[in-house]
Amino acid sequence: MLLRLERLLLDLAVLAVIGLGGLITATVLLRTLFNSGVPDAIVIVAELMVAAIVLPAAAVTANRAHIAVEVVTNRLPPRAQDGLIVFGTCFGLIALAPLIYAGWREAASALADGGYFFGELNLPRWPGRVIFLFGVSLCWLRLLVMLVRDVGHLRRGERIPQDTPAHLVEEA
Amino acid sequence: MDPALIGYGAFASVILLLALRVPIAFTLAGVASIGTFLIFALRTGEFMPDRAIRPTTSLVFSNSFDLIHSYDLSMIPLFVALGHIAYRAEITTRIYHAARVWLAPVPGGVAMASVVGCGGFSAITGSSIACASTMGRICSPEMLRMGYDKRLATASVAAGGTLGSLIPPSVLFIIYGIFTETSISALFLAGILPGLLSLAGFVLVILVWVLRDPAAAPRFDGTISRSEKVQAALAAWPAGLLFVIIVGGIYGGIFTATEAAAVCVSAAVLIGFAQRKLTFRALWNAIRETCLQTTAIFLIAAAAKIFVAFTALTGVAQDVVSAVQAAELSPVLLLAAIAAIYLVLGMFLDPIGIMVLTLPLMVPLVETYGFDLIWFGVVVIKLLEIGLITPPVGLNVFVIAGVVGREVPIDRIFSGILRFLSADVIVLILIMAFPVLSLLIPGSM
Amino acid sequence: QSLFVGEAGPNRGARADALQWFADTATELSDGALSLDIQWGGALFKANAAVSGIADGVADLGTIIAVYFPQEMVAYNIADLPLENPDAWVGMKATDELMRNSDAIAENLAQQNLVYLGTFTTSAVHIGCKGAAIRTVEDIAGLKVRGVGAYGDTFQEYGANMVPMSIYDAYQGLDTGLIDCSQGYSYATAALKQQEVIDSYTLLNWGQVGALGVFANKQVFDGLDPAVQEALLQAGEGMADELGRLITADNDAAIQTMKDAGVEVIELPAEERAKLVETSKQFVDEWVERANAAGLDGAALLDEYRGLIDKYTQVRDDQGYPWEDS
Ligand code: NA
Ligand code: NA
Repeated sequence: MLLRLERLLLDLAVLAVIGLGGLITATVLLRTLFNSGVPDAIVIVAELMVAAIVLPAAAVTANRAHIAVEVVTNRLPPRAQDGLIVFGTCFGLIALAPLIYAGWREAASALADGGYFFGELNLPRWPGRVIFLFGVSLCWLRLLVMLVRDVGHLRRGERIPQDTPAHLVEEA
Repeated sequence: MDPALIGYGAFASVILLLALRVPIAFTLAGVASIGTFLIFALRTGEFMPDRAIRPTTSLVFSNSFDLIHSYDLSMIPLFVALGHIAYRAEITTRIYHAARVWLAPVPGGVAMASVVGCGGFSAITGSSIACASTMGRICSPEMLRMGYDKRLATASVAAGGTLGSLIPPSVLFIIYGIFTETSISALFLAGILPGLLSLAGFVLVILVWVLRDPAAAPRFDGTISRSEKVQAALAAWPAGLLFVIIVGGIYGGIFTATEAAAVCVSAAVLIGFAQRKLTFRALWNAIRETCLQTTAIFLIAAAAKIFVAFTALTGVAQDVVSAVQAAELSPVLLLAAIAAIYLVLGMFLDPIGIMVLTLPLMVPLVETYGFDLIWFGVVVIKLLEIGLITPPVGLNVFVIAGVVGREVPIDRIFSGILRFLSADVIVLILIMAFPVLSLLIPGSM
Repeated sequence: QSLFVGEAGPNRGARADALQWFADTATELSDGALSLDIQWGGALFKANAAVSGIADGVADLGTIIAVYFPQEMVAYNIADLPLENPDAWVGMKATDELMRNSDAIAENLAQQNLVYLGTFTTSAVHIGCKGAAIRTVEDIAGLKVRGVGAYGDTFQEYGANMVPMSIYDAYQGLDTGLIDCSQGYSYATAALKQQEVIDSYTLLNWGQVGALGVFANKQVFDGLDPAVQEALLQAGEGMADELGRLITADNDAAIQTMKDAGVEVIELPAEERAKLVETSKQFVDEWVERANAAGLDGAALLDEYRGLIDKYTQVRDDQGYPWEDS
């Protein structure tokens, strides 16, 4: 269930990148060919950036693709290394909590106040903030699930599996 | 409690947590959030957590969200995507076929071609990280496939990527120019010779490396005809076209660097479909990979941004600079101290954050010594570029690690980086000792 | 007592000097009871996060640039309107008096946990061009222009093709031909070295972007001793004279720098300016509507503001600038 959701969000992020690339290209073409432009393109691109960057956060976490410094701990015994992975996951839960709280506050107030970006279209502020909150929250949920599973592995005396869930990145 | 004390405690915690393998983004964001909370809670002298919640969440949100919510930085996912798409459209393979054909006789030729390619790509991108990610995507897998030493195949591109900010155009120079009110065109021109010097240094490192350890780069022992060389070069036309779109577009005033990134992605997609090398499925997967990779980079950058704001609250950076000022150092010692500060900060923080934090304090210091601000800008950018490849937080190295995946662990890349750093240190000393290297071209304007 | 001040700009230039003067003066007026720790360069928050940064207490006080906050700072936005208000000092004195004395504005700010302390200005809006020169409004048609606010909207009405770009990118944009003209202020145009890339600089004398100033977190402000509050308010009021002196000198020097660099400095004829003012009237009306929607009496504020501009124009004409006292 969580994996399907992560995959869906990753695909939405892909759409966001295609969208922002297409939008900027359209801006250039309209300007050079017709001396015109796309209204509020800058705001739309910035909002799409939030989707492109934050929505895959849970998938990155599921892939165990967060960048860490492994130089120091590489020579430790495997069980100690796995213990540190669990510790890192715990710390991630702590680190993301303020972001989720802050994101919730911002999203709620943007929805309540009806804040908008001043421009030709006066686009609302809430979509980017809601996407931010949703992406970070799902990342937190994924960390929690990983913590529970990894602790289970450790208890049973097993190693924590390192392989990437294959369905997240398919090679053509 | 004194904010500075919290600051020093935070720096120690970051080092400890990073050593314990806690992901970098979590380390910086977590320590900065806790530290910020403590500073606000302890401001009145007694512990008042209620008063700290609102400022802490505000600082954490605005610094991370605003970094991501950015039109200009959309050029990073776009330039990452360009690399993935060019790779799947076989544009890359053909560049490499041409490079192999032309540079085959030279020992370590492909690694050299990668560094030279980074230099060329630097002339069309303003960001070192975009440079490393695009060229890393193109060069490192090819070198690994050819049996190059894994350290050489990755470190050469991570180091070569740092040329992105020294060779114009350059986002870092633009920000420096604005903060110091110096001419941006002069800064751009000033970066050219030091950039080429750095490039030459990297090529020399590869040559020495391969001469001392011939196994690091497989030797080529066939012969290549002239017509083969010409054909290989001609087959690389899509790459040439993209190059012309970017260079012609930016220098010709048709579009900005961000727009150039988008137009190039669109062009690469069109070329890929027209040549029947790219499928819709391959395009989708290329952008999926782009998203996973870009997210990992941005999570760190956003966390670093929070940490920078926290550092400002602690006053630690200001303390360090005040201490330098009070010491009344000789010019040489002052430069050494400045270099040390930037190198230490560069180990942990992102270049834009460091500039934002230090320039307001550095520039008055530098001006009292009568240094040329254009030359000082080149020195600062070079130091920041070195920071991109120094452990533990070396963003260019992480980008390359993201490209090559599990095949090469990060510490192997860092161990390869050491040799390139030695060249960087020599180039840095040359730039510092001979301001004419920086000032010759802008002076001749 | 030490307070954090958040400033998005660098610690150089006229505005930075005026902010430092404000901090030093407030400390002096409070007999050393107060010290202000200015965080430059947006280290705590960028310009587009200043309102929440101050209201939430990330900094206790700081600079707010109202163009980023058309909703929150709707009253203050009055100082950004094209009202034939090109004099930096007159504009600041009028804005300061309006902000300081209007209960409606103070109430509007209090709801956002903010207190007004003092105002800056970017000074009069002018425009520099490369390969083009604006001598009449007809010259604007077809030009690629970087501009902001009601000024940019008016250029668009005259057929300009607006290119979205920050003032800091304008140098490169002008240099490469991506834009033909960039809206700006004289001292900033020179500080950003635009005289290297422009051929002409047209003095529009049309209005200014003046809605930027220092605000405090209301909760923090209310918790200060009355004497300290008074020190902050008094230092804030003095900023107009201090920045007026600095920016007027900087602008004069900047015009000279441009002339020395071979830039043609053009004075827009009065009848052409009248056309700009007429066309930009719709954007002033738009502001009145936005102010009304925010529960303020837009028309009354506008009348009051125009009156204050006339009042301080008269003061200047009668007595000269305060720093010109002989
Ligand atoms: Na570059
Ligand atoms: Na580093």
